[in-house]
Amino acid sequence: MSAPDASIADAPAVRPEPWRGLAWLAARECLRVSKLWTQTMLAPVVSSILFILVFGLSLGSRIREVSGFEYDVFIVPGLIAMAMAQAAYSNNSSSIFQARSDRYIDDVLAAPMHPWQINLGLTIGGAFRALLIGIALGALAIPLTGAPIERPLALGAAALLLVALFGALGVIVGIYAETFDHHTFINNIVILPLTFVGGVFYSVEILPSPWEQLSHANPLFYVVNAVRYGFLGSSDASVWLSFAVTTAIAAAMVAWSQYLFSTGRRLKP
Amino acid sequence: MTGSAPALSIRGLTKRYDDGTRALDSLDLEVPAGEFFGLLGPNGAGKTTLINAVCNLLRITDGEIDVFGCPASSLEARRTVGLAEQDTNLDRFLTVREALLYHGGYYGITRRHSAERAEEMIDVFDLRAKADVRAPKLSGGMRRRLLLARALLHEPRLVILDEPTAGVDIELRRELWRYIRMLHSRGTTILLTTHYLEEAEALCEEIALITGGEIVARSTPEGLKQQFGARTLEDVYLKAVHEPREKAA
Repeated sequence: MSAPDASIADAPAVRPEPWRGLAWLAARECLRVSKLWTQTMLAPVVSSILFILVFGLSLGSRIREVSGFEYDVFIVPGLIAMAMAQAAYSNNSSSIFQARSDRYIDDVLAAPMHPWQINLGLTIGGAFRALLIGIALGALAIPLTGAPIERPLALGAAALLLVALFGALGVIVGIYAETFDHHTFINNIVILPLTFVGGVFYSVEILPSPWEQLSHANPLFYVVNAVRYGFLGSSDASVWLSFAVTTAIAAAMVAWSQYLFSTGRRLKP
Repeated sequence: MTGSAPALSIRGLTKRYDDGTRALDSLDLEVPAGEFFGLLGPNGAGKTTLINAVCNLLRITDGEIDVFGCPASSLEARRTVGLAEQDTNLDRFLTVREALLYHGGYYGITRRHSAERAEEMIDVFDLRAKADVRAPKLSGGMRRRLLLARALLHEPRLVILDEPTAGVDIELRRELWRYIRMLHSRGTTILLTTHYLEEAEALCEEIALITGGEIVARSTPEGLKQQFGARTLEDVYLKAVHEPREKAA
């Protein structure tokens, strides 16, 4: 162990630079995604493309048009939305759970950053992963199926709301989870089923009563419809209602995650 | 942040955990800037709770903490504190070099300066051979070195070392002592907790004994011996900490 080159005590007082801290924390989360790329990127892209190939291209020819679209085109927006939602959620919940479990989150919590910057930095990893998956799936699925992008601005807004909603949900679950099972439980028992019955594979208009009405009580139905509107220019529900519901849920999730960071509840004893 | 302010000023610090356990009870403590200060006490005395409160890792129940004259929760105060925790809480996804680089980033250091400091710390703590190895693949001694390197990377004015030599071999312990002394000689304030009394006696200018969340004695090592009529620091520790606990039991 050799001597330090300069006197630490004599070093000039350095002002905190919380924005730089935020950038590094976001970079760390993105680095984690890229280091685990087979798990974080390849697996979800391959499984979603398999859905499109099996359900869309193989079985799709036996199914008549849905809401005026070929079946393989119809399912693309929902499948992309589902993959992005799961990616944003899983990334943040597992990253934060591991950081809490190994306690290296202390290095971040002790650093000179505002609580909202820590929250945002940790959320960006899920957004990065989800957006990359969405772009990769779009690049593969659009040439395969001929799915259009009718409303690119609406699609961009829907994608941002989706990653904010599920990214924040991942942060919340990552903070509350006591075991890794809790993280997978929410994904398998809540997100996946609600997305499936939210109209990924079918139009809820074809469902008999009361299932059609019940589908409208599913918040993920509106998320799927907001993304579908961006792609196809039409959706099962009013586009304004879809965006309003998605925005409201995203805002509630972001507010909840911010509350946890601002108060330190569950993060600090 | 004033130059004459104490490195650490704690007034009426109380921490009651959610299960009702009172870990700290109206604790007052002041550590002058530039001092090598030891905090001794049995397991569960409140040492780590106190450290976590200073480092923004705890929701305190009551009291005030200032670091160099700034509230401990402020960004200015947090920028000046370096913490090496008792547990080796290293980021499992980062290599040694990345762990140091990213830590510097979290503390607002520029990429260039952080990279320079990381290389410097890698050399200082003999981590060069393992610079590209992830933390989970390091030996216990190497992890301990990395923890200390990380705590010092952003050039903190107050370094808090929570049992830094627990579980390390004698050779590394001596090396760490030498390095910590060197830091202190250059003006860095050191707050050290340890269970090794000879370590505290060899290193610390002042020692506080804590038990049951309260400071029960505080002085220089020699002052404590005189105060308790003891020949060794171990005798002081037994008289100040263990005997009252046995009587209370």
